Amino acid sequence: MLGSLFKDALRGTLRSPLRQPDFDATRLGRVAMALPAPNGLTVPAPCAAVLVDRGGRSRRLASGARIAALEGETAWCVHPGPYACELAPFAGAPEIGLQVHFAIDASDPRATHQRFDLFLASEAGGAVELSGFAALAQNALQRELAQGNLELPPCTTLEEWNAFRSGFNQLMYTRFGVTVDDCVPVDLGAARDYAATLDARLAAQLDAVKPAAHDAAPVAAAPQEAFVPACEDARALRRLFLELPCLMCAVRMAVLPADQDRFRQHQELLRRLDLVSLSVGTMPALELAAPGQPLAQEEQLRRARHSRRAAAALDEAWALLARLKIAGEGPLDCLFDEADRIVANLETESQARRNATVPEELEA
Amino acid sequence: MNAPLTQATCRSVSLDGGTLTITATRRPRAGRADVKCSAPGAPAVAERMQQVVRLARHTEPRFDSRDQVVLSLDRAPGEGERDWELAAVLADRMVRGVIQLTEPVIANGWSDAWHLGRIDGRMLPKPAAGVLAGGVDGLPHLGALNGQPDPGAGISSARAWFPMHSGGDQDGLGWVEVSVRPLARAGQDDEDTISVPDLDAVRQSEVRAVLGGSRHFDGRGQGQWRTTVRFGESRFSGDSYQLALVMADRMARGREFLARGRVIATGASSAWHAGKVESVEALAPKCALIAREAAAGDRVLLPKEWEAALPQGLREELRARGASLACVERIGII
Repeated sequence: MLGSLFKDALRGTLRSPLRQPDFDATRLGRVAMALPAPNGLTVPAPCAAVLVDRGGRSRRLASGARIAALEGETAWCVHPGPYACELAPFAGAPEIGLQVHFAIDASDPRATHQRFDLFLASEAGGAVELSGFAALAQNALQRELAQGNLELPPCTTLEEWNAFRSGFNQLMYTRFGVTVDDCVPVDLGAARDYAATLDARLAAQLDAVKPAAHDAAPVAAAPQEAFVPACEDARALRRLFLELPCLMCAVRMAVLPADQDRFRQHQELLRRLDLVSLSVGTMPALELAAPGQPLAQEEQLRRARHSRRAAAALDEAWALLARLKIAGEGPLDCLFDEADRIVANLETESQARRNATVPEELEA
Repeated sequence: MNAPLTQATCRSVSLDGGTLTITATRRPRAGRADVKCSAPGAPAVAERMQQVVRLARHTEPRFDSRDQVVLSLDRAPGEGERDWELAAVLADRMVRGVIQLTEPVIANGWSDAWHLGRIDGRMLPKPAAGVLAGGVDGLPHLGALNGQPDPGAGISSARAWFPMHSGGDQDGLGWVEVSVRPLARAGQDDEDTISVPDLDAVRQSEVRAVLGGSRHFDGRGQGQWRTTVRFGESRFSGDSYQLALVMADRMARGREFLARGRVIATGASSAWHAGKVESVEALAPKCALIAREAAAGDRVLLPKEWEAALPQGLREELRARGASLACVERIGII
């Protein structure tokens, strides 16, 4: 390991003693939050570099340092912000939104892993654009509101707004590792004109009706989104593999059991999460029914759908962790029931992902 | 979530005039299928029922794999009949506590797009009063049970509820529905494009004035929309429906945060163009009515002037039930 470090550094110096590798940092901090950085780059201020190895372990380099990636490490250059984005909290109300200002914190010395670094390792893949990140944040927000875990009702009062803010801040920190500095309701009417949207939708419906009239009745088949199973499955499993251990660690820290019953409940939860994590770590390959036996295409699709749903349950688990962190003793029963539901979903989906076919008793 | 029942029934009127009953029960899943359906002598119907229920569950935000729901039809429906589909979906939701309906339901409706929550129509030609009828003129999508706009539709409509109080047996919640579709030609006088088919001329002009004023306050929505306003019960008096009307209009135009349940509002104003909400009559009976009717997720909006005189414990009672209450001085963002 040390040898390769030395070799890499040596190669870097021999090839270009002074010249920096090509890297366009101008987009950072405005439209991009993190960009893949080439080896040998001196990290420009005020950015930091995050290096992630194949196992998901990450380390940070401060600005001014020179990136020297070890074997198998990927490097990102991360700009701390601040960033601004607009989120629509409800899909059905596009003209009212939230203007959110947030930043990526310097590393928290108390935390064993930085959440944003974990986000980079497990979800980023390549560059993290601000718009893509805003879409993820909006999804997380919309789901919490739809489930009733956050409340933003019509004519929100100040008290309700403050409760929403503390929940939202914690959600963004726990799920993505960003700190929300400011969040205000805004009128998005000028940018997202609902009348124009509906107009376009009606026109599209008219277009859709005309050709359908020619080619007989359209078949009412079960709708399935088109997606590439191999990609989606790999992405979802990677997330589960990297995030479940960190999630378990955080759940262990978030609750200090008050009595014996709660302690048992907590332990049981962690034990089940551990088993799910084990199951994900030993997941059979998507395209094989058994060693050397290929799996039918539609079964692969089914398996990929289950991994996707498991990843969705993982998102819910992070959101629940955020609620656990700010909850007092009072709502713990309700939160543990939610945790039970989420873990049950994780168990069901990961088991279904393992199966090569749908067991007969489930079809009936 | 409120403690869900372990059994629920929902009925549907079949085309031959009889009744179909769908019974749903819930039990721990224990490794079995999530939904199990049966219909006597019609395995194809049972299969379709399982498909319908699974598709409709895609529109729910909360997925729970711990329970199994068993649905059964009491007799086989007629050949090609599909109106039981809505009843199956509702029974499945009721038994899991996803929706809470206070009275027994008779529902008729079918859909080719259950995964979007749409209800395409019904086969029953003239549903009797009290039948929850699917389709554009009845219940167009599942969210409409709570008055919410369909986020994927071309015409946006939303409902809000208001307490109707006359001191008689007719007391209850009435609803007002606002549907808007984009108006291609701008520049028309806004009030011409608002139609209120159910009401007399005086009330029609009142509704137009209210919407005109509140849209003026809003700063948007003028000359943009062709609007239709419908009332569930057209025989009512007073002007306390106005706040509900304004809220439904704002929700339909996508300019208001949404409650998970219904919006129940009472309030009037002499100055909607300033967004002000003013007090109305009959505080005590209306509060009692609301306390009786509110369900989980509902949002209750009352005039600010009522705040000091609210009955003791109303707030707490609503909160315990999962509903929330706010006394508002004006509409719009905080």
